[in-house]
Amino acid sequence: MMKNNKWTSLALASMVALGAYSCKDDGADPAPIGGNFVLAVTPIASTGVADYLLTTDDLESGTVSIKGNGIEQDGTYRYYVMHNNKFFSMLYGQGNPGAVTTYSMVGGKLNKLSDFQTETVQAFAPVNEDLLLLKIPRAITNPLANFYQVNTNSLLITNEGTIDVQKVADNGESAFFTWIKQVGNKVYAPYMSIQACCSDAFGTAFPNNAWIAVFSYPDMKLEKVIKDDRTSFIGRYFRDGLAEDEKGDVYAFSSSVAALGGVFNSTKPSAVTRIAAGTTEFDKSYYFDVEAVSAGKNITNWIYVGQGKFVVQTTTKEEKGAYADGKRLGILDVYNKTFKDVAGLPEISTIKAITYNNYTARDGNAYVGIALTDGVSYVYKVNAASATATQGVRVEGGSITAVSRVE
Amino acid sequence: MKQNNKIILIICMLLGVFHTDAQQTTPIFRGQVLSEGRPVTNANIQIDKKVLHTDDQGLFSIPVIIGSTINIQITAVGLHTLKQRILLESTDSTPWIFTLERADQQIEEVEVIGLTKVKEINRQAYNVTAIDATKLHNTTLNISSALDRVAGVRVRESGGVGSNFNLSLNGFSGNHIRYFIDGIPMDNFGSSFQINNIPINMAERVEVYKGVVPIWLGSDALGGAINIVTSTKDRSYLDVSYGYGSFNTHRTVINSGWTTDKGFTVQLSAYQNYSDNNYKVTVNAADINTGAYTQNATVRRFHDQYHNEAVVAQVGVVNKPYADRLLVGMTVGQNYKEIQTGARMVTVFGGWHRRGTTLMPTLKYQKRDLIKGLDVTLNANFNLGSEQNIDTLDRRYDWFGTFKSNGSNGERSKQLYEYRNNEGIATLAANYRLSERQSVALSNVATTFDRKGENKLDPQSSSYEVGKQTFKNIMGIGYSYDVEGVWSSTVFVKYIHQNNENGDVISNTMDRFGYGIASTYFIDPNLQLKASYELTNRMPTAYEIFGDVENQQGNFSLKPERSHNVNLGANYGWKSGDDHRFNLGGNLIYRHAFDFIFNRLNNNQSQLVADNREGVSTRGADADLHYSYKNFLTFGGSLTYQLLRNKQKYEPDYTGISPVYNDQMPNIPYLFGNTDLGLTFRNLGGKGNVLNVNYNLLYVHRFWLYWPSLGGTSLSDEKREIPEQLSHDVSLVYSLHNGRYNIGLEMRNLADTQLFDNFSLQKPGRSFTVNLRYYIQKAK
Repeated sequence: MMKNNKWTSLALASMVALGAYSCKDDGADPAPIGGNFVLAVTPIASTGVADYLLTTDDLESGTVSIKGNGIEQDGTYRYYVMHNNKFFSMLYGQGNPGAVTTYSMVGGKLNKLSDFQTETVQAFAPVNEDLLLLKIPRAITNPLANFYQVNTNSLLITNEGTIDVQKVADNGESAFFTWIKQVGNKVYAPYMSIQACCSDAFGTAFPNNAWIAVFSYPDMKLEKVIKDDRTSFIGRYFRDGLAEDEKGDVYAFSSSVAALGGVFNSTKPSAVTRIAAGTTEFDKSYYFDVEAVSAGKNITNWIYVGQGKFVVQTTTKEEKGAYADGKRLGILDVYNKTFKDVAGLPEISTIKAITYNNYTARDGNAYVGIALTDGVSYVYKVNAASATATQGVRVEGGSITAVSRVE
Repeated sequence: MKQNNKIILIICMLLGVFHTDAQQTTPIFRGQVLSEGRPVTNANIQIDKKVLHTDDQGLFSIPVIIGSTINIQITAVGLHTLKQRILLESTDSTPWIFTLERADQQIEEVEVIGLTKVKEINRQAYNVTAIDATKLHNTTLNISSALDRVAGVRVRESGGVGSNFNLSLNGFSGNHIRYFIDGIPMDNFGSSFQINNIPINMAERVEVYKGVVPIWLGSDALGGAINIVTSTKDRSYLDVSYGYGSFNTHRTVINSGWTTDKGFTVQLSAYQNYSDNNYKVTVNAADINTGAYTQNATVRRFHDQYHNEAVVAQVGVVNKPYADRLLVGMTVGQNYKEIQTGARMVTVFGGWHRRGTTLMPTLKYQKRDLIKGLDVTLNANFNLGSEQNIDTLDRRYDWFGTFKSNGSNGERSKQLYEYRNNEGIATLAANYRLSERQSVALSNVATTFDRKGENKLDPQSSSYEVGKQTFKNIMGIGYSYDVEGVWSSTVFVKYIHQNNENGDVISNTMDRFGYGIASTYFIDPNLQLKASYELTNRMPTAYEIFGDVENQQGNFSLKPERSHNVNLGANYGWKSGDDHRFNLGGNLIYRHAFDFIFNRLNNNQSQLVADNREGVSTRGADADLHYSYKNFLTFGGSLTYQLLRNKQKYEPDYTGISPVYNDQMPNIPYLFGNTDLGLTFRNLGGKGNVLNVNYNLLYVHRFWLYWPSLGGTSLSDEKREIPEQLSHDVSLVYSLHNGRYNIGLEMRNLADTQLFDNFSLQKPGRSFTVNLRYYIQKAK
């Protein structure tokens, strides 16, 4: 039986050899850094995972990596909102139910508080102690949007109801809320009018009007629709077009990206308008044509950093798209009606994307995530006064998608 | 068995090969094996160290040297072994007759010695494993669960009876694997007739080709192929079984065949599966009003009923001068499936369901020696069946079965979609034996696809739909050189042509050329080495190009994928005395796939879409070991390890090296195995009664859902993983009256553990099944 043993051991030896040959090499991973800033980073080779959440105490220097670090966020798309000292990570689940994971900050680390189920929604914002969520239909056969009020203390849905978006639009089309914002004790919901049919759901025959639906809270009664015909609709799909300054004036931007059949059909330029504090009408005395002062660029996103100044993302006429987030940064001063390009940014051809969910302490600076095409990302500190950007923390292993802070 | 010095033996054999190769005028010794006057097919002939087998006429032949003496040993199932010494004075054109006596041995005992068809398949040059399905006929397994016990194969199920399954072979899965019944592609059989709902009793054996696929299975499989071989017995028999088990599961299988002396034959098979699948699951169940989760709630599945019914009828003739088999038939089937959850168990449905029908006329023709040496097989079928997706309730359900209205969008995406794919297949396989050892083979498979569908609730969007068509032709030519029992090699080329048309809007054509070689060598009759290589091509399927209008979004610009495919294998059988027998097999595999097709979520995350990944490489090994003691005990197991690596260096729109370049591919099991222990008690409670006790243990190592290198791995980092699986299954089968009556009892997942193949999708807990089977046959 010697022979048998020999052959058996030969076979076993080859198995062992193969095991060794296929062994996985483990790279060294930098140790996780804690802190109150939360960075969301998405892997650049998608496999259905949204992001990894990293925490750091310094946005202006150092390196963080999702290799071996970070809290995994399930699902392809995740959206984040801070309210009541809690960090909400919301799953965009299309027709499936959404899910929300809530974290608090404990010792520089995110600490999971709970999960709860919601619907997949297209707009959400803090209102009083709640998060208000809107699920908005895009088919003319379905006139009802759903709203959900989530109490941020109990972390439960405490109230829900419907809004007839065809009645809101009142023009034969459907109102699709671009975003929602609490102003005083009201909820402002700017919307685009969409035909909601005909293989071009977001097309519209009303490209030259702006609307903001005003709701009472918490009963969400439609009180009025503020209208303006100097701009196209306010905000954009899934992007917040409103900001309230220190005086309580509300500023609104229009991207001018209304379209029909895939062709832009608004004759109005990208512009900023205003609703003066204490009123619920557009201020006819205020109009700021952004294209006229920015060599034809249009605003795609903005963040208010205080004293009438915004850090804005823009696209040129050539780059313009209904869902395109601009890769150019500018400083918009809505008091003085000026625009300045930001200096110190990476060459635009090396920019993969600029994050639209960014952090500011309203001290004249914004911290903006810039993902580069080589797969590395940086947080840039953008100073509004000097219109310069300074490279900060380096992010490795994926592309940055959000910058925020939790107390 | 006394073993000679192997090196000398190898040299002798090489010389022998060389020798016979060089001289075509070598004297040939011819023999014929008979028993009770009839030829013995597939008898095992051992002449000195060479092994060969008799053909249909009981004939065999071997080159010899005049004047020498040969030792010949002939064994065949059910017959006494014959040993004879023959002095070769001259060779004669009339064969030497060997007559074997009928033995009263038990069949099971002889199987170990004789070469069954299953073992014969396993001895091919390909990396192939054949399962003897007849041994599982007293169980309620379907084909996919039987395959789960093969080394290198892992079947991932999303739930109970009829649930979605995904079979992976050495890490390849989905459309990388092609399925066949009797060599006919199953691509167009519809949802009523798939390996997860065909009972094992329909099959005589199941062949698993890992990697390189023989050309007679004309296919563009990239990762391998499964061929289900149904019974081709030309005799009259009836096989009826019925099983009842947990979760209100009923299964019935009827197989019958009737052949007259004149060669007229009728074959009728019918089967049925029904299950409520209402097994208990542990979930975080959300309250649909507040959104609050009840942690670890134990709930019953309430919308998961599945049933399917199918009838396969064939009539025709056998053993005629113009045809060995000529059968026309009809396959009729239907299925109904309720959908309980989405891709995750947090998504609950209460009304969404699917229906499908199969209505498929078939034609089969087979003739050996149409002209001398030419064997021809011809098959054709066309599926007239349809599929329906029904999501018409405007509701949101929770795990407690309560619901609320959610507008007018259906549960997921409101539709009553009905479509027909109008898929047809025609295959031709021809094999021509040039000489004793050489043969050429030609195979051609043509498939058509022509989808027409509409959403009956939305005529407007239906009006935007255009006809979707695909035509694919696969042609293969191979050449084989075979010295029976010593070595054999096959070289082959394949040419694939595919044309896709999306209405009048767009069309494209793809042509691919592939080739390969497979060789095997017997160091001695019990020690076999195998090696094979193929440059293989896989075309996108019609479903990947056009979508299934439900979960799969089409991608018309999908490129064909191709792969280098290398396999090395060895198999060794030995025994210790006459009572202890061992068999050890092992395979090493290497794959490198380019433009690897995989499914990702589309940009709206609403559907899956097939896309190309630049490269994926696989290195793997599997081993299996089997031991038997007399005909009382069998013990064995298999273990598989495979490492799939991402070889895409640059991601689209990025210029830097991907952080996950060379990372292990996520969500693919990489270490798994099984063991089984069988005990057979003969003549228990009466002569001819047998009790079989079987225990099977399945093990799957835990694996990550997403990229292994990304994210933290501590508990608070919530990195998603599919936990380790350990499932114990036990079955008892008591057969009476030499197998005419059988009573089976099965217990699966005995420890009642929570099992997951897919993230969060919990499989059934402990279940019991009773199975009754009646089998009679009439000798021809």
